[in-house]
Amino acid sequence: METSRLPLSSSIRGKLISAGYTSLSSISSVSSTDLARDVKITESEAFEILKMANQISGSSSCNGRSSSLVNGARNAWDMLNEEEALPRITTSCSDLDKILGGGISCRDVTEIGGVPGIGKTQIGIQLSVNVQIPREFGGLGGKAIYIDTEGSFMVERALQIAQACVEDMEEYTGYMHKHFKASQVQMKPRDILENIFYFRVCSYTEQIALVNHLDKFISENKDVKVVIVDSITFHFRQDFDDLAQRTRVLSEMALKFMKLAKKFSLAVVLLNQVTTKYTEGSFQLALALGDSWSHSCTNRVILYWNGDERYAYIDKSPSLPSASASYTVTGRGLRNSSSSSKRVKMM
Amino acid sequence: MIVVKVNMAPLKHLEMENSIIDECFRDFCASHGILTVEDFLLHDLYELAAFAEREANADRLKEGITVMLSLIELQCRPWLNGMELLEDLQRNKHTLSSGDNGMNSLLQGGYGEGQLTELVGPSSSGKTQFCMRAAASVAEKQEGSVFYIDTGNSFSARRIAQFICGGSDAAALRKVHSQQFLSPSLGAVTDHQFLILLTRNVYVQRVLSRISCHTVYDIYTMFDTLQGLEVALRSQVQMNVNEYRLRLLVVDSISSTITPILGGSGSQGRALMVALGYMLKKLAHEHNIAVLVTNHTVGAGESGKTKPALGETWKSIPHVRLMLSRDNRNSNCTISILKHTSMPSGQTVRTITR
Repeated sequence: METSRLPLSSSIRGKLISAGYTSLSSISSVSSTDLARDVKITESEAFEILKMANQISGSSSCNGRSSSLVNGARNAWDMLNEEEALPRITTSCSDLDKILGGGISCRDVTEIGGVPGIGKTQIGIQLSVNVQIPREFGGLGGKAIYIDTEGSFMVERALQIAQACVEDMEEYTGYMHKHFKASQVQMKPRDILENIFYFRVCSYTEQIALVNHLDKFISENKDVKVVIVDSITFHFRQDFDDLAQRTRVLSEMALKFMKLAKKFSLAVVLLNQVTTKYTEGSFQLALALGDSWSHSCTNRVILYWNGDERYAYIDKSPSLPSASASYTVTGRGLRNSSSSSKRVKMM
Repeated sequence: MIVVKVNMAPLKHLEMENSIIDECFRDFCASHGILTVEDFLLHDLYELAAFAEREANADRLKEGITVMLSLIELQCRPWLNGMELLEDLQRNKHTLSSGDNGMNSLLQGGYGEGQLTELVGPSSSGKTQFCMRAAASVAEKQEGSVFYIDTGNSFSARRIAQFICGGSDAAALRKVHSQQFLSPSLGAVTDHQFLILLTRNVYVQRVLSRISCHTVYDIYTMFDTLQGLEVALRSQVQMNVNEYRLRLLVVDSISSTITPILGGSGSQGRALMVALGYMLKKLAHEHNIAVLVTNHTVGAGESGKTKPALGETWKSIPHVRLMLSRDNRNSNCTISILKHTSMPSGQTVRTITR
């Protein structure tokens, strides 16, 4: 029954099928007034249905070119060249960058999860500052969207990290021009804070509404290069009675993020909490929101404690090998734990 | 050949193409409660013919009935006997190597053309890796083209290039060097240089250009894509095919497009899921393609064991179902058969990935 494939409301679809219109060709051969009369819907609705049916049957009747089987499919060879040119957002910690293949990649949805206090919000703030590093210093020169669901974004901390970033850039120009003394940089910490769009979300309906609105928002602000959600799980853990509905809503949201990442070539970073799971006879820590959510991201990084040190582990990635690296959270932001120098290594 | 779509529409739509089904014929049918083609099929035709005899324009009415029957017969699929099926199997439906020796030995050769194979597994158990490995193997060794539908931005052309060149950066480098007659005394090469070397390699380019990737985020776009593919395949059969034949269709993952619509009130989601499954199987059988889809697992609550997502209805749709699981922090992956058309379920194999 091909009519069931049209994106219509179920009541209209039910009326169509019971009136006998079960395939697309039966709809396209009839006029809109006849359709409205037979199915007992309004003329405008009948017109919409006809338009949709004609669109689908029109696209199937034209022949594809011989170069690609379906219009719009891309060649793996072109994609390889694109992947090479894909920019990455540095995390200011060179060990972490190394296992991530250079940093958080754009056009991917990355999920970062860990126990409380390990530094997820710190990573979020660091990324929203680092995305603004100008192109001449090896960054993306873009803006950031920070969606805060828990209220853990601290502006003072962001200012501190922004100041550290500017100082590092000034030092770097010194090295570049061989002055060996810091020179002025165009960017000021205030400019960095201006380019972070901050949204505070207080319930899950607001979160869903915001995600739906992001498409329009980013079309108007084309410079946005990273969307950070801190954290994605908070509102979905307490309010929901119907778990099946929660799964549906979450997978819909995940698909929207994927679409955003692909369409605007930006990085989506989702921060997640952990919960205890009883598997194989023992209690283990696992990321919240269940198994079906764990399939909704492209890459996953898990943060954990190893003795006194913070470690990051690549749990899921299509092209990177599993590896772990350590990092620290200093007054200036995220840094390597091995080196004691506070200088950030940029491209 | 133009297929006349008779379908279950009201009878008056047939008048355009068949003038015999005119007003009188439709009035006659209506008087017996026949308003659509579906009603016509359900009615007793001998009784209808007998009633037609008694009418004034008996011949015309009977001619109308005959035309209706002939139109309906055009919809009927041709018969096939067992011998023809066996010949079709031997001649057209080969097995495609999966690119991994463990998987090949488990499936006695690889993924079968004309079959829908499903890979089930918890997160990061290696499903996408197997899909990309299969794509690389088919494009390189079997010289066929691959259609890859990706729903999670997990298609990585670079990883496929690594598979083509032997599975790791070092092996790829060696292969690239040997083909370009460069001196192999290059030390550690950075990622950037490696990619540049890859992009200059003509062999890799040729193989990668046989894989086409399409991103799809919801079920309606998926249907449109598959329908476009079907039309393109049908028209390609008539053209002179200089390019490589499509041999593998990968959908990674099918569960992320179906889960948002499944459940809740109404069975619309399940109907769409079944329609999608049938469309994939039809593509596989008619055009001799191997179809590979991935599915995720859900926890089964108190019993603690995980089971594949998408529920009971989906269980019967794929021909072959394989469950993947990965040991903790190990590169060992265990594949076990959940369902297969010609092998017992429960067989497992251990394979080392990467």
